[in-house]
Amino acid sequence: MIPLYRHGTSHLHRMPVGAKFLGIFVAALAASVFRESLGVLLSIWTVTLLGFLLSGTRVRGLFAQLWRLKWLVLVLTIPQLIFLTPAEAGFNVARVLAVVMLAALFTLTTATSDILSSVERVLRPLDPVLLRGGLSAERISLALSLTIRSVPVILSFYADIREAQRARGMRPTPRATVLPLLVMSLRHAEETAEALAARGVR
Amino acid sequence: MRSIAQMAMFAALVAVLGQLPAIPLAGGVPITLQTLGVILAGAVLGPWRGAGAIVLLHVLVAAGLPLLAHGSGGLGAFAGPSAGFALGWIPGAFLVGLITQASWPLRLWRTITGAVLGGIVVVYACGLPVMAFQMGLDLQQAALINLAFLPGDLVKAGIAVALTHSLARAYPAPFTHARRRRQ
Repeated sequence: MIPLYRHGTSHLHRMPVGAKFLGIFVAALAASVFRESLGVLLSIWTVTLLGFLLSGTRVRGLFAQLWRLKWLVLVLTIPQLIFLTPAEAGFNVARVLAVVMLAALFTLTTATSDILSSVERVLRPLDPVLLRGGLSAERISLALSLTIRSVPVILSFYADIREAQRARGMRPTPRATVLPLLVMSLRHAEETAEALAARGVR
Repeated sequence: MRSIAQMAMFAALVAVLGQLPAIPLAGGVPITLQTLGVILAGAVLGPWRGAGAIVLLHVLVAAGLPLLAHGSGGLGAFAGPSAGFALGWIPGAFLVGLITQASWPLRLWRTITGAVLGGIVVVYACGLPVMAFQMGLDLQQAALINLAFLPGDLVKAGIAVALTHSLARAYPAPFTHARRRRQ
């Protein structure tokens, strides 16, 4: 599993996670509130394009990102052309794309581990509230790292199941694939819980 | 600690189900199984842990991991027109769990109601307004476009119901929410 983050040393990379997130949130909010305003749309696009140039991904990174969104553009445009005029549809697509590209810029320039540790930092003061539901900031970040670790484990379960199916000449129907996957995953969760308990993690 | 491990495992399972090569159904139409995983999360783990698993998944997606269907992810996934559907999985899984696990042993009519209400109605109710707003359409137009996905979602809900009942017979250990209610 490869994170969508691209390593770099630009100003954008070094910006605090919270500030960057807040900036994108405000931009997305502005795009939604002033949905008819051409000025807001143009300024978000300017910020986004400048951000891509400053982040060290250069023009190639920008086009790579746009190419990733080709299906989104298609799915966005075709239904709108049925119901709206081309001008309206174009404006809407440009607005959605601007916010998506800005959010992608956040993902490109912020390491997953940094985001997750900021999440833990934000949650820590909430511990008294969380404890009432049997949770804590520590437990949540443990759950997040367990999830990341479990993805390759489940993929290997899937490979085992497919191999067994091929050996028996079975068709991979959803039922024949997902049921063993469920049982294996839940058993593995049980073993993980026992291993954590044995190491004194509570 | 067991619930933490179960939520983490299920979050990963939903992620993996979105990445698998789309499994061809009987009719030959390929579908991704990510929403199947969402219904299963609620039905198997119950409302709280089921919704918790989806929250874990979404935090990791927002943190930049490509865990949504076909390797999409990052904060951009929550800025596009389908953001409402993904966020609707959280109350969706909760409702599936609440209805499905209201009694033990599981009842088929409850599981079907839960899968359709939580897995389809709630998800669409969250997804359609966001989609309509983002694309500048009205609700009816957005609903009309989404009609194309309804057959696939119904099939997935059906598969989820069958899987839940098979699992309840084969491996009832995780259904603690239901079993605590009536034994």
